[in-house]
Amino acid sequence: MSQNRWLATGNFFTSYRQEQRIFLTHLDRLIFICLLVVLFVWPLCVEVSNKQMLVIDNILIAIVAILGLNILTGFAGLISIGHAAFVGVGAYTVASFSRVLGDSHLLLTHGWPLMILAAGLIGTIMGAFVGLPAFRLKHLYLAIATLSFQMIFQWTINFMTFFNQGQTISVGRVSWFTGQIGRNDHYLFWYYVTLSIVILFSFAVRNLLRTRYGRCLVAVRDNDRAADAMGIHPGFTKVYAFALSGFFAGVAGALHAYLWRGVGYESFTLHQSISYLAMAIVGGLGTLIGSFFGPAAMIMLDLQVENLSQVIGKFLTVTMDLATAFRPLTFGLVIVLFLMFEPRGIANWWRIARSYVKLWPFRY
Amino acid sequence: MKTVKKMFWFIFMISCGLLFYSCGEGEKVADLESKVEQLTSENTTLQKDLTALKEKVGEGQVYKLGCSLAITGPTSDAGNPYSKGVEDYVQYVNDEKLLGDSKLVCFIKDDGYENEATKRNFEEFLDEGIVLYLNYSTGSTLALKNDFEEEKIPVIPASFHAGNLEGSHYIFLPIVSYSNQAISLSEYIVANHKKGTPQAAMFINPSAFGRGPVDDLKKAVAAGLKMDILEVVEHGQDLDNTALLKRLLEKKVQYVICHTVQPPVATLLKSAQALGVAAKTYGEPGKLTFLGLHYAGGPDLITLAGSAAEGYYWTTSYKLTSYKDEGADAQLALAKRYGRDEKTANSQNYTNGVQVAQIAVEAIRRAKAKGNEIDRQSLYEELLAMNGYDAYYPLTTVGPVTFSKDDQQGVDTLQLYRVEDGVFQAIGVPFRSEFVKKVK
Repeated sequence: MSQNRWLATGNFFTSYRQEQRIFLTHLDRLIFICLLVVLFVWPLCVEVSNKQMLVIDNILIAIVAILGLNILTGFAGLISIGHAAFVGVGAYTVASFSRVLGDSHLLLTHGWPLMILAAGLIGTIMGAFVGLPAFRLKHLYLAIATLSFQMIFQWTINFMTFFNQGQTISVGRVSWFTGQIGRNDHYLFWYYVTLSIVILFSFAVRNLLRTRYGRCLVAVRDNDRAADAMGIHPGFTKVYAFALSGFFAGVAGALHAYLWRGVGYESFTLHQSISYLAMAIVGGLGTLIGSFFGPAAMIMLDLQVENLSQVIGKFLTVTMDLATAFRPLTFGLVIVLFLMFEPRGIANWWRIARSYVKLWPFRY
Repeated sequence: MKTVKKMFWFIFMISCGLLFYSCGEGEKVADLESKVEQLTSENTTLQKDLTALKEKVGEGQVYKLGCSLAITGPTSDAGNPYSKGVEDYVQYVNDEKLLGDSKLVCFIKDDGYENEATKRNFEEFLDEGIVLYLNYSTGSTLALKNDFEEEKIPVIPASFHAGNLEGSHYIFLPIVSYSNQAISLSEYIVANHKKGTPQAAMFINPSAFGRGPVDDLKKAVAAGLKMDILEVVEHGQDLDNTALLKRLLEKKVQYVICHTVQPPVATLLKSAQALGVAAKTYGEPGKLTFLGLHYAGGPDLITLAGSAAEGYYWTTSYKLTSYKDEGADAQLALAKRYGRDEKTANSQNYTNGVQVAQIAVEAIRRAKAKGNEIDRQSLYEELLAMNGYDAYYPLTTVGPVTFSKDDQQGVDTLQLYRVEDGVFQAIGVPFRSEFVKKVK
């Protein structure tokens, strides 16, 4: 182990325990604490509009969802094309309570942490259920199974009157110790709630990968026969990955329902599932840090393209409608470029930048 | 290593400095805001006097409107000309100084027909301090209904869904609801059908917008409107409707009421023409007579469907530019003045956009004339007072815009049109549904 606990210029581990530390140096820990302080303090110091806060909250919720997708696709190697449906399960859990009890029932407005947890649990159950084919299927065949779930989910929501046929089911304003959270504090409140969940879940994922339960995911991804030979049950491991991913997605769905104060079908379509997959790829599959970069990059890009296509729409005639094509074109192009030139995603840029700073001024 | 340490501390100090600087700014802003708030609350009379004085010396105010709609994405064929209508009329108001020295600003943002984008835009508009909001889709209007209520902001959407008004005080439909339109068309079908009970089907958009009038029409049938609705078809993205049309004919359907946007209707009409099942005369036995609600018709439909559109019935509360009258002239002149192409100029969605902007401007003008402060509440009150002798007559609709606490649907009359020789021709005079009262 390095003598200097503040900086490590090489690997000096003498035990596996040392290698598995969350923070390799004190400097890492200090930077992380500073980052946390900044994340919690900046909204109190900087004036942020509700719109900007809404976008930031949305990114944080996507991070929660992508953490789940990264467990499934990144660490366990199981492609899911139905992640938005899992998020939808969480959101519609809250919406169902709203439908049955009324949108301002105490359970929804005061018991919202319970509702978020319940949404996560329902997501877990659905995840495990959808993961059952993993006992027999893998690769593209399993991906098709998740696609089927996405289709069934969309059909169910869109046609069942209980779910208001996909129209928005409203969710009331929540209460905190200080009373009801009004419009002015709404987005800030959910920023703190979601940020806390992101931090908690990130640590959970980081810790998971330090345990045998996390390592067996990676083992099954790398070679499921070898994993089987080592005593890991590939089928159960895959179902467990689905369940875990479903939990994260369910929580993200509940947060979505509360943030937007309503649940509508269009937020959980196949398009959104593909967007989630793109976020995971662009961020960096199989990396924790990629789960933060991906959603931030894709959502910000989408907003910029949205603005740009509006500008284009102003100048082009209706018949050309090129502005409409501009968004999906840009979206597709970004994914293709990343797959071609940086398959390891933004997380790899982060790794390069870190190692450069670590070694600076030396190149090697 | 020392260099790295130095660099770290340097960055850390800069970060801390920036953080404290931001905190300081935030406090300064907050202090100023609280002071302004205090002064404002203490001196409301003074503020009113100041406003009046500003008006006297010619220093106008700025009134802000917000408009979020689908300029791109699904239904942008309607949203795009609609946005141009709003934009042009607002520009016209400012150019012609219709509000005196005051200036009208309308923030127009594309939402791509996505509720989440609409909500984002709405939040942005609220931060800008808008006094009236122009929304677009049915889905987003329903999704944001609670927000409108909380914000107490008058809203005029492009969606005429009757459900928008349920449990809402601040939403004003520019013309009668889809339900009203569907029931009115059905009344026409019943009144002009020759033998037995007319057998109808609905061809609707697979969304909240499409499903809007279905239940109300079924209620009307249950309440005694002598018509059978045999099937409600939610269309997909089919390029051919042969199977659907054959099925409808097998079920002995005679009338198809369309409630969607123009492209699927054009596909349906083309398929009907290819199969030779489109009625040449109204209610021709063994054939299908097609009828449509506001968004399922218009001059663009003829462009899309060509000769297949012949004999198509369509109802709306707007006048068409094919009828040369004062309204058509004004609309075409407006479009020409701001460089719009012919397609946009003749679109009923452009008319729609102009009309909602006209209603907003009229409410502002009336509130201003009374010397009231232009805010959400005063505009809300002005809209509610827009009835009787105070009804508003835009030139481009077939009836006056009337609102009250009991009736938040603007133009209450509809005009029936039929495609003849490639042009929508008006049939009869504007009418209103009698049966709709029974399903309220």
